[in-house]
Amino acid sequence: MNFYLPIAEMSVNIFVFLGMGAAVGFLSGMFGVGGGFLMTPLLIFSGIPAAVAVGTEAAQIVASSVSGAIAQWQRRNVDFKMGTVLLVGGIGGSVVGVQAVKLLREAGQFDFAVSMLYVTFLGIVGTLMMIESLNTIRKARAGERTSGRRPGQHSWMHRLPLKMRFHRSKLYISAIPPLLIGCLVGFLAAIMGVGGGFIMVPAMIYLLRVPTNVVVGTSLFQIVFVTAMTTILHATQNYTVDVVLALLLMIGGVIGAQLGAVAGAKLQGEQLRFLLAGLVLLVCARMAYGLIATPDEPFSITRMAVGH
Amino acid sequence: MRGIVARTLMRVCVACAVGLVCLAVPATAQTPANVSPTSEPQPAVGLEAVEADVSTRSVAITSSFTGVEIVVFGAIENARQPAVDEGTYDIVIVVSGVRQQLTTRRKTNRAGIWVNTDAVTFENVPSYYAISTTRPLDEIAEPDVLLRNDIGFSRISMRAAPEGDGEEKRPTAKLQEFRDAVVRLKQREGLYLNNEYGVVYVGRTLFRATIDLPANVPVGPLNARIFLFRDRDLVDTFQTRVNLERRGLERYLHNFAFGLPLLYGIFCVLVAVLAGLTASAVVARIRR
Repeated sequence: MNFYLPIAEMSVNIFVFLGMGAAVGFLSGMFGVGGGFLMTPLLIFSGIPAAVAVGTEAAQIVASSVSGAIAQWQRRNVDFKMGTVLLVGGIGGSVVGVQAVKLLREAGQFDFAVSMLYVTFLGIVGTLMMIESLNTIRKARAGERTSGRRPGQHSWMHRLPLKMRFHRSKLYISAIPPLLIGCLVGFLAAIMGVGGGFIMVPAMIYLLRVPTNVVVGTSLFQIVFVTAMTTILHATQNYTVDVVLALLLMIGGVIGAQLGAVAGAKLQGEQLRFLLAGLVLLVCARMAYGLIATPDEPFSITRMAVGH
Repeated sequence: MRGIVARTLMRVCVACAVGLVCLAVPATAQTPANVSPTSEPQPAVGLEAVEADVSTRSVAITSSFTGVEIVVFGAIENARQPAVDEGTYDIVIVVSGVRQQLTTRRKTNRAGIWVNTDAVTFENVPSYYAISTTRPLDEIAEPDVLLRNDIGFSRISMRAAPEGDGEEKRPTAKLQEFRDAVVRLKQREGLYLNNEYGVVYVGRTLFRATIDLPANVPVGPLNARIFLFRDRDLVDTFQTRVNLERRGLERYLHNFAFGLPLLYGIFCVLVAVLAGLTASAVVARIRR
């Protein structure tokens, strides 16, 4: 059954995109990640214009993270003060990011920028995750006990001004690092069509030393609002949010995520992280291939009718 | 009394009749002069002309639009073709979409990575261009006639937008390469179509051709031009239009997104929030 997408301006088979939503939803439910880093590349590979993929995915992430955020809030796992600081930075980053999308599109370098960012960030995050999970698995086999988080020094961070007390996180740190992290995440969310959890969660754990029980809830809180803002900005600045496509992905994603959560419960944490790292590196490699391989058609055409 | 009335009536009628004849005479006298300004030795029957129409004047792009075929059909008037397969006349049908500004970019390898480096913007590229003929174009007419009428992929008029400095410093070879790329990519998208032998005669003077409008056809009016050739000479042309319009939900969403983008953005977020909440509510109910 085909449906003509109003913004992407193409006729697509709805089952393909429902299935895509379900597949990515399954993986994100299993690994407990947002899935934007999988969905946006998949949309681009399937012929959706990169800018529409990014704008539409922002809307889908709102849907997939809103229920999680509410559940975390009910379990009192959200540090609202920390979340608000991250959010302020995130909105700033998102505004800059959406403008960057606009400029890059006009310069014809948007697809290139998206690919480069994906290769860079997925490469770094995937490699670190892979090393970490392999170490954990090896230590577990050797019978060593894995230590939690190491107490870090980070004296420079404590010397920064604008110190704030974050009660829920039991932290007394400067507001500048979380502001900058939020800003980077918002920027990446706008350009890459991701929620940014894959950057924010490690940054909160390793840089800010936020307790792990509030990390997920707080980052989900930030993601919901930043992606909502990003959706609105993409809709007004770039006209690249396709509500029909977003709805198809949401429906598929919701069903997939439930099945994925069941499957994920059967695997151990480090096994999950190992598999996820493999998946991240796979997407990274596919993006890198697109940049390096000789294209069979070096030319491309774009219609410059942004906004009609 | 009656006699007088009848007589006046008669007079009026006669006057009218005379008047009509007077008016009619110059009109009939003008007709031949109108027809033959280009007159070569003309046969008594009058010049051949072509008339045509399309099967669908208005195509609706709705949510279920997956492309459509339209039929262009017509007749050659005053045809002196004795039989269907005589091949005295050639028909060329060109259906073209709205002209758009288009940027062509070329990737080159920079330090191992393929990046867009060159770009040429063309200002008036037909978004859609379908051509259907009775036989290959070069057998039908001379290149200059085809060029003058924008017939054939290689003759579509495209104006390269001047570069920033205003000076035309691009070599024509480069422009030609980018121009060819536009045609090639448009063909690959299924938006530039060429069907030699696509026009068929269904009677001594009747012809028809089917034109494929694919699912990705750009919305806007289509212009259909029908050319009649005899012995490599362009004899007559005819134009008609096909409207391509968004309808229903499709039209509503498109107007919403482009007309009220802020509200549309908020609407998208609301849809997303509702979808997320509904999903978790449904899941919670199933779990219970």
